[in-house]
Amino acid sequence: MLLPLLAITVVIGLYMAWNIGANDAANSMATSYGSGALTLKQIIILAGILEFTGAVFFGSRVTNTIAKNIIPVSILDAHLVSIGALAAILSAGIWITIATYYSLPVSTTHSAVGAMVGFGFGLMATGTITLSQIQWAVLEKIVLSWIISPIVGAIMAFVIFTLIRIILIERSSDVMRLERMFAILQIGTAAYVAFAHGSNDVANATGPIAAALGYLGKETPLWVLALGGLGIAVGIATWGYKVIETVGKRITDLTPTRGFSAEFSAATTVIVASYLGLPISTTHTLVGSVIGVGMAGGLAAVNLNIIRKIVASWILTVPIAAGISAGLYVLMRVVI
Amino acid sequence: MKFIRSITDVFGESPFRKLHDHAEVAGKAAVLLRDAVVAYSSEDFEKVESLRKEIESLEYEADRIKHEIREKIPKSLMMPVDRHDLLSFLKPQDSIADACEHAVQILTFRKIRNLPDVVKKDLEELASRIINTINRYEVLVDELSELILTSFSKKEVQESLEIVPEIENLEHQCDKIELRLYKEVMNCDKLDPVDVLLLISLIKEMGEIANSTARAADRFRTMVLGK
Repeated sequence: MLLPLLAITVVIGLYMAWNIGANDAANSMATSYGSGALTLKQIIILAGILEFTGAVFFGSRVTNTIAKNIIPVSILDAHLVSIGALAAILSAGIWITIATYYSLPVSTTHSAVGAMVGFGFGLMATGTITLSQIQWAVLEKIVLSWIISPIVGAIMAFVIFTLIRIILIERSSDVMRLERMFAILQIGTAAYVAFAHGSNDVANATGPIAAALGYLGKETPLWVLALGGLGIAVGIATWGYKVIETVGKRITDLTPTRGFSAEFSAATTVIVASYLGLPISTTHTLVGSVIGVGMAGGLAAVNLNIIRKIVASWILTVPIAAGISAGLYVLMRVVI
Repeated sequence: MKFIRSITDVFGESPFRKLHDHAEVAGKAAVLLRDAVVAYSSEDFEKVESLRKEIESLEYEADRIKHEIREKIPKSLMMPVDRHDLLSFLKPQDSIADACEHAVQILTFRKIRNLPDVVKKDLEELASRIINTINRYEVLVDELSELILTSFSKKEVQESLEIVPEIENLEHQCDKIELRLYKEVMNCDKLDPVDVLLLISLIKEMGEIANSTARAADRFRTMVLGK
């Protein structure tokens, strides 16, 4: 009974990884494509490698948080954990697919965390655990990090772009040349974002897989992370490049100096969060950083309505992913 | 293309490109107005009529761009300049094409034959000076893209704003010709009083073109400095 469940979990986990590569990876590389610093082919290779290495070498802490720190999986029967992990990954996958179809800027991280919480509610509904056994403190920390991370990204980007403006742009006699120089530097920050993204977001796919495999209290095995990283890389190569093309053409406002500031700040915020084991949204952090550059006077037009959209996506994503997950868990308990 | 989830929504559409297009339309209208004045002097009233139509459609185009710009800058759009300043800069810029339209319409109200040469000459001169003023003004508006690229660096702002007094000076030149024209027209005994009335309104409206241009340049300065 366990093996087919596990197989389905891995397959859907891979789908999640594919989706992360297909859609979110574009956020790191689109600017370099837009500025012409890299070709689409170079981007696919560079982003694929960096997302993969980020996932493998830095992805375990966040995976652990999603896999076992939200609900007390260590006290549960392995069979229940397998069912729950499947319910969680399924619901996250379903919600992400719907949201992507409607082009909603939702976070895969929030979906994954919401789905894990839903698993917890499913366990409560079937009388396995009590409300107090869900690790509310961990959840609080995670939710707080969602609010803090875009703000930190914004402040950092504001400071970095302001410094670039005062030290370089104000003194430069040829701004176009400065931009061309930054286009090269920006390849570095785009790579940095890809690495940070892989490290933070692979968990959204591998968390449930690790839980289903029963890696509790142990390090997530490298091959699970590698599988997730591979899924992301495949996502970039099979669909992500199209998204990069579309997005890159639209965000030409983000010139290399601006892109550098936003990307460096977002990647640093995400890397620090990953190190702390906090599953944050890379997309939302990058949005925060872009707004920071805008506040420093670097952009012609920033649409602040996005903030409303993002808050709406927080309010929607977590309950919906949790609801689907809890429902699926209870259903599966009845069927299986 | 469907199945995309990305951060593009954070990038609003920049209204600055359209501001430039809007100024360009005003420039085109001014050139056509001079053609109309020349045609009127040589009593080619059919040509004046066809130029009126062309200028009217340019004015319509300017209005359309103005509405587009207004629609695209909701309060939720963060820009490097104050939204209110931008709107109060757009208004006089829009008046340039409006005044060109009014001026050419006046030319179609009544046919004046045997216009005194000195009046002809000065009207054409005024029309040319207006074009000079607007051309310089277009250069000023063009500076916006550079200003945005340098994130309104002090040096760049200063360089751009050096154009503003130039425009004010060009407008002053227009004013002088305008005054001269008023005197000529009012003291020309061979002109019919109704012709005088028409010419006075024409001169006034042409002066308005230059005035609006200078006012827009002044608001541009306020907008750029007020950030």
